Amino acid sequence: MAPARTLQLQRISAPLVVFLAVLSVLKTGNCEEQVPLILWTSEGTSVPSQSPPTAGHIVGQQQLASYLEKALEAGPRNVVLFLQDKMSVEDFTMYGGAFGNKQDSVFPNLEGALRSSSSPLVLPAVSWPASNAVIGQLQDQLETSPLYMDPETLSQLRLNTSSPALLVFRLPYGMGADLMSAKEILSGNDEVIGQVLSIMRTQSVPYTAIYTALRPSQEAASLSVEASLGGGRSLLQARGGYRERGRERERQRKIKEKAGIYGPVEFKEGDNTCILLWATGLSVSILRSGRWEDHNLTPSTFGEGVSPKLHGSSCDKTKARLVLNYENVLGHRSFKLIFAMSQRHYQVSARRWFTLDAVELEYDGTKATFNGSRNIYAPAEYSYRCESVTNFRWPLLVPRSSKDPANQWRVSLEDFQIQGFNVSGGEFSYASDCAGFFSPGIWMGLMTSLLMVLVLTYGLHMIMQLHTMDRFDDPKGPAISVPQTE
Amino acid sequence: MLLEWMMNGHAILYTGVTLAFWSTILIVGICYTIFDLGFRFDVAWFLTETSPFMWANLGIGLAISLSVVGAAWGIYITGSSIIGGGVKAPRIKTKNLVSIIFCEAVAIYGIIMAIVISNMAENFSGTTPETIGRQNYQAGYSMFGAGLTVGFSNLFCGICVGIVGSGAALADAQNASLFVKILIVEIFGSAIGLFGVIVAILQTSKVKMGD
Repeated sequence: MAPARTLQLQRISAPLVVFLAVLSVLKTGNCEEQVPLILWTSEGTSVPSQSPPTAGHIVGQQQLASYLEKALEAGPRNVVLFLQDKMSVEDFTMYGGAFGNKQDSVFPNLEGALRSSSSPLVLPAVSWPASNAVIGQLQDQLETSPLYMDPETLSQLRLNTSSPALLVFRLPYGMGADLMSAKEILSGNDEVIGQVLSIMRTQSVPYTAIYTALRPSQEAASLSVEASLGGGRSLLQARGGYRERGRERERQRKIKEKAGIYGPVEFKEGDNTCILLWATGLSVSILRSGRWEDHNLTPSTFGEGVSPKLHGSSCDKTKARLVLNYENVLGHRSFKLIFAMSQRHYQVSARRWFTLDAVELEYDGTKATFNGSRNIYAPAEYSYRCESVTNFRWPLLVPRSSKDPANQWRVSLEDFQIQGFNVSGGEFSYASDCAGFFSPGIWMGLMTSLLMVLVLTYGLHMIMQLHTMDRFDDPKGPAISVPQTE
Repeated sequence: MLLEWMMNGHAILYTGVTLAFWSTILIVGICYTIFDLGFRFDVAWFLTETSPFMWANLGIGLAISLSVVGAAWGIYITGSSIIGGGVKAPRIKTKNLVSIIFCEAVAIYGIIMAIVISNMAENFSGTTPETIGRQNYQAGYSMFGAGLTVGFSNLFCGICVGIVGSGAALADAQNASLFVKILIVEIFGSAIGLFGVIVAILQTSKVKMGD
């Protein structure tokens, strides 16, 4: 029994192992995640140079370990590790003065160190997990624990040539995608490298220096957010994958942050978004003693990081109600703005439509109601969008009755978009705009023009059926002469 | 032969107009279907958003213009026959002017109706369908309908009277006793124009435009 089961397990695990091997090969072959690694020794020490990898080859963990082993075997066993948060080869390309502008290079100290070193080793592409684990690898090879330092603490440290040491200097990279700040940060890091190397020189301790990073700096790889709007992908890059989607979302978020675009007000019923509302401007005004007093509700409703209170909102299959709660609006302690929508099937058009039945203002127990169902409607699958929804300027909202308190109020929504039903994926569906392709004026003009074209056709037809009398024409006879005299 | 047929002015005109009309309808229909915007095709929107003034003034214009077309057509048919027949039988000239007068009456009906209808057009202050109000829409549509009624009735009445009058003139030239009999036919023809006027008056009797 038991031997049979173990045999079965062995049989099953073989394809699994093959599958995992394939996966791991694919993983290391991923061309997105590489970090350069630069290794050099202090001047005066000679180390047999190692052959750099072939162009385009990505150095894996094993290979990196062998490189480091060879370097540390022959060279000094004091390792100074400059570990930057993020780095890519593109950083060196962009800021290293690679286009003949050496004076603009931000790596003068690094370049000086490499020039004065006898055998620098440059690995342009070390796979990201490998470079992440470089501390661990050095720790294993040197059999000593790393010391996290900065230039001030280094000057106080006395180094010993005999015992190995691993000094780690963490260098920042920064969060901003702004190109200017990256250049400044790299310049600052190079300064730190220069300081450390000069301190090491004054202490006359031979060292091996390594400059690498934990992660690739993908922001630099994709140049700028705007430039890579279209996708920013290399030719052979496989589309899709969770990393690409995440990057795309990050990119879009950065674009929106720059442009001041924000998400809509979402009301969620459980996990699913039920009602969406978006506008660039929302303001209410009340008529008090002959004057209109305005209150702009946009900053407390819309914006990045603004979440208005939606207590009292509800939605089901046929009715949706979005309640925006505010405090201290125009002297009223509690103020509510309610959008009441409903959807049903209409027989003549044989489709479901939704209407914004009412926009209500509730304050201090009074309710002012505006009817919107006459003008604000869209098919139930779509959202409704209008440039201006007001009750005073090309009004789409009308007070429910002539005695309603709504007659003292003015509501104005700019670039308004709303959807109360069939919301999928937290995003608006196709927006049915309130402005059609042809305006009423255009239609009237077209109708009268069509009528005139018909009249013209009729007239042309009649004129074309007039024929001059040619019964008595005789081409061979004498021409008609009209004598001048009597 | 096709080229010869195409060279005919009528063919070009009618082909052109038909093509323009049907291609517009086809392309508009295809666009509505492809973009799934069929829900935007809204006849009620068109009828309520277009101004009642457009309809009213179209009615007035059609009333007078179609009546005048009918009268003109009738007169030119009758006139040419009278003049042609009068070459050989000059006695028909004076008597047959009555046919011309019947045709002219059609134009007079048209202008009277146009003036009556245009007097009903008043200003109103509404801008949206609700504020314009039912009565103004009814007024607009009624005036359009009345204009159409009187216009087309007078158009065909005028043609009818003209052709009959032409026949009367030529018959009169042959045989003087025939004229009175044919005049009765002409009177019947003239009555139909009057029907149009009466119906148009009925249509606009309830019109009240304004606030």
